[in-house]
Amino acid sequence: MRSEMSKRWPRRPARIAGWLLSGVGGLAAALFLFAWSGIYNVAASSGHWTIVDWFLAFGMRNSVSLRSNAITAPALDDPDLIRLGAAHFHGGCAFCHGAPGIPVSPIARQMLPSPPDLATSMRPWKDEELFWIVRHGIKYTGMPGWVALERADEIWAVIAFLKRLPALDAKNYRALALGDVELVGQSGEELATVESNPQGAGACARCHGAEGSGPASDLVPILHGQPTEFLMAALREYAEGSRPSGIMQPLAADLGVQDIERLAAYYANLVPKQAPSTAGTRPSERGRALATEGDPANGIPACNACHGRDSLARYPRLAGQNAAYMAGQLRLWAAGHHSSTSGAAIMAPIARRLSETDIAAAAYFEALASESAGARR
Amino acid sequence: MSAARPCLYLAVAASPLAGCGEHQSVLNPAGPEALRLAQLTWLLFGFGAAVLGIVILAAVAAVRGSERVRAELASARTVAWAGIVFPSVALTGLLGYGVWVTRASIAGPGDESMLRIAVTGEQWWWRVHYPQSAGPPIAVANEIRIPTGRPVLFELRSADVIHSFWVPNLGGKVDMIPGRTTFLRLRADRTGVFRGQCAEYCGGPHALMALEVVAMSATDFDAWLHNQRAPAADPEFTIARRGRELFLAAGCGACHAVRGTAAAGMIGPDLTHLGSRRSVGIDTVATSEAGIAHFISEGQHIKPGNRMPPFRIFAPEDLNAVAAYLAGLR
Repeated sequence: MRSEMSKRWPRRPARIAGWLLSGVGGLAAALFLFAWSGIYNVAASSGHWTIVDWFLAFGMRNSVSLRSNAITAPALDDPDLIRLGAAHFHGGCAFCHGAPGIPVSPIARQMLPSPPDLATSMRPWKDEELFWIVRHGIKYTGMPGWVALERADEIWAVIAFLKRLPALDAKNYRALALGDVELVGQSGEELATVESNPQGAGACARCHGAEGSGPASDLVPILHGQPTEFLMAALREYAEGSRPSGIMQPLAADLGVQDIERLAAYYANLVPKQAPSTAGTRPSERGRALATEGDPANGIPACNACHGRDSLARYPRLAGQNAAYMAGQLRLWAAGHHSSTSGAAIMAPIARRLSETDIAAAAYFEALASESAGARR
Repeated sequence: MSAARPCLYLAVAASPLAGCGEHQSVLNPAGPEALRLAQLTWLLFGFGAAVLGIVILAAVAAVRGSERVRAELASARTVAWAGIVFPSVALTGLLGYGVWVTRASIAGPGDESMLRIAVTGEQWWWRVHYPQSAGPPIAVANEIRIPTGRPVLFELRSADVIHSFWVPNLGGKVDMIPGRTTFLRLRADRTGVFRGQCAEYCGGPHALMALEVVAMSATDFDAWLHNQRAPAADPEFTIARRGRELFLAAGCGACHAVRGTAAAGMIGPDLTHLGSRRSVGIDTVATSEAGIAHFISEGQHIKPGNRMPPFRIFAPEDLNAVAAYLAGLR
């Protein structure tokens, strides 16, 4: 008996493996035949069977939950962060996901799965899960990943807004997302012949303001009166993708060469706007020292050498600029944020030599009277 | 193959001889300090060779020698004298001689007759100051000019990490230690260009942290120093004037000084007379308009890791103008 067993044993695993292999092979062949035959209906219009729908959603929920595990959300109640997120949502997300007062586009509704109208029915995701979804997108759904994966700061702005979204009515939403932009009604002829800009989705002024109004959020740079050459370079860098930003890249990529020239000239010639300086804060002595003398012992050159009144038109002016925006940019560079522009090649090594105190001292510039560099050149 | 093998061994054994060339070599002294070191080197080498010879002879004698010789070699007396007394005495004597030979070149601050030059090692270049009896010192970088026949006292400091100052043709190696000043006395007895090298690993492009000591006749040196003392002359040509405008507007003056202009930066090398130096970026690119332009835009490829960011913001004609301005600063 025993000897018989030992004789048979070595053959058994081999036989099992053989069965398994042919099973897997057969299944693969069947699947291939299934796809090859064209029997499967890929029509988005036909929808999924309920069981398939449930299975896919089940897989998605678990995948998002697992993969967002290591993420920790920062504070998301900053009104400036919410406004920035709202402005991007309006241009980048509302077409598919709708917004208070703006229904989901009929075209987007025909996608499979049809994108959820976030104004009315958002799944109770955790902040971290939403961040993961907005950053990476979701396979097989049409939800795209963020254009610039490294710009977590931008993605969190969108999440901050999404948290706020369910509580908004149409009026509040418009105020938040469109700011001071007044949509001019187009005439019948214009509607018929000119490419329309529905709901002002691409309007720069939603974030950056226009004549008479500054940016909606202090996380957005003031462009009024900046040198034309600098503005054009920035738009070109966004358009070609060398300056990563999920908010600016898609917008700049839509602009033609002449659009960029005209747009840059428009902002360059606007009367400089002053950041609404936080009342009662005095510019720090450290900020003044860094701006005028730098810190040679730590290899930090004076900011004014490049950002002063008589500097190259290729460099931005900082007087009167939003402190929160400047600090955000410096932190991105200091954190090793990858940007391959010629400007970042100069500024990033300097930003890496700045301490957190030094970065906070950038607020010094916010309180300075801004002056137009654009008009002078 | 068996015939090739001895040749291969010979080639490998001879490869250190490549270090015996004239350039940056201890064995080619150009001044009294270096000469003493070279003599010390030969003495130690000769003494070591003699000891090695004796050891080999003793080994042969221990194997092939007569009974009497072998007994003598194995005796306690031989071990005590040749194994304890001789090394102690010989090594102590050689150490004393070495210290005595080098004592003069590392002795502290010298007298007034010496030319004083302050050299500060920075990551990864040499800041060189010629103190003046009145006014700020004359600042140059990476290229040290000295007169022949006159003792020079180097005051060596470091701005960041430990560096080491070593010009083998002129003398010994002295560390530059943060927070301390070390001294080195050298004299060049003949004219020439003597290459030096940072001899203590100091991070990143340490290997490219070289320097040149140019020994000139006393009259040539005085003329050179006189020229260095003067502020930068106004550019002669339109292109160079445009270059100066761009140099200032592009913020170069935040790190570099050009005396006589608004550029007064202290972070990087003084460029007042850049055009009179032999090379840019220490020995990496010749001082020409093309070389300077190349260093401005591609400095990170020429000397990877150096503290100057690459300036690729200039249109080609603007870059040429800046380079023309700097090359003209003679």
